[in-house]
Amino acid sequence: MSQIVTLGNTRQRFRIVGGMDALPALLVIGGLIAAATLLGLLVRARSTRVASGCGGDEHQLSVDGAEVTLVQLSSPVCSACTAMRRVAESLVAADPTVAHREIDVVDEPAVASRHSVYSTPTTLVLDREGHVRARLIGAVKPADVRAAVDAARLPVAVTA
Amino acid sequence: MSGASPQPGAAENGTPFGIDPRGPRFGAAITATLLLVVVLLGLTEPLGADLVSRALQPSAVLLTVLVGLFAWGAFAGIQKHPYGLLFRRLIAPRLAPPTEREHPAPPTFAQLVGLLVTATGLVLHLIGVPGALVVAAAAAFVAAFLNAVFAYCLGCQLYVLLVRLGIIRRSGAPA
Repeated sequence: MSQIVTLGNTRQRFRIVGGMDALPALLVIGGLIAAATLLGLLVRARSTRVASGCGGDEHQLSVDGAEVTLVQLSSPVCSACTAMRRVAESLVAADPTVAHREIDVVDEPAVASRHSVYSTPTTLVLDREGHVRARLIGAVKPADVRAAVDAARLPVAVTA
Repeated sequence: MSGASPQPGAAENGTPFGIDPRGPRFGAAITATLLLVVVLLGLTEPLGADLVSRALQPSAVLLTVLVGLFAWGAFAGIQKHPYGLLFRRLIAPRLAPPTEREHPAPPTFAQLVGLLVTATGLVLHLIGVPGALVVAAAAAFVAAFLNAVFAYCLGCQLYVLLVRLGIIRRSGAPA
């Protein structure tokens, strides 16, 4: 008996979700598309960016003799990592003072966890002393990589 | 631009390593459209009174088809998915060869995530939970839409994260 009553209530409440008229239903659909688009734009804006002033030292990772070392943290199956590798390698080919090395976050999770890196590729920009001067998140555009590299050549701004 | 694109005899039998990333995106566009139809139907139809009528209402029938397609992609692999075949037969020949290829494991895993979401919605709907079908279809729509329009594959990101955390083992080269 009580079950029938419950069912009846449920169905009555459910009229809000089911049995909607076409117009409000279409409005919901429109809202859903708009929300998904907004989310997509947000994700796109967040997925490639340059963060500077992150701090941290990775002396042991900086390549001897290089003014700037790009330490790329990659995962085994990630197409953006391939794109980022291409960008970094062409930069290194053009400028011998820059070095690039890649670390697999599955094989060597230590570096990634030291810097709380959760998305790949993330590239740490190390200066001559091995200080982390910036991190490049995603497949960053060549011009932005170059700008971050050039900034890392300058002496560290004195921290207040 | 490195002009060379050595892709001798694209994908016939001996699949070259990696898949054209535009394939899963093409499939996601079809899936997203169908999921939107499921949402629209689910919103306008009243919930069926018993199990049989709930199973036979158009929104549930269409979602059942989509659950089946997700299962196909998840268990047979993304390359064997009907949309993938459609892409290779009809779309890919009209496009420039892919500039990069991607590992099939993440998009295959993403199909499994899609399967879990839509199957859960379908089962809850059959039990008679109000709104379950619409909510599940809407969630799956958002993921498919992001993949199709923004090339952002939520399930693939999840796969990479789970591999990183060691929860699922990296598959070197699945057949």
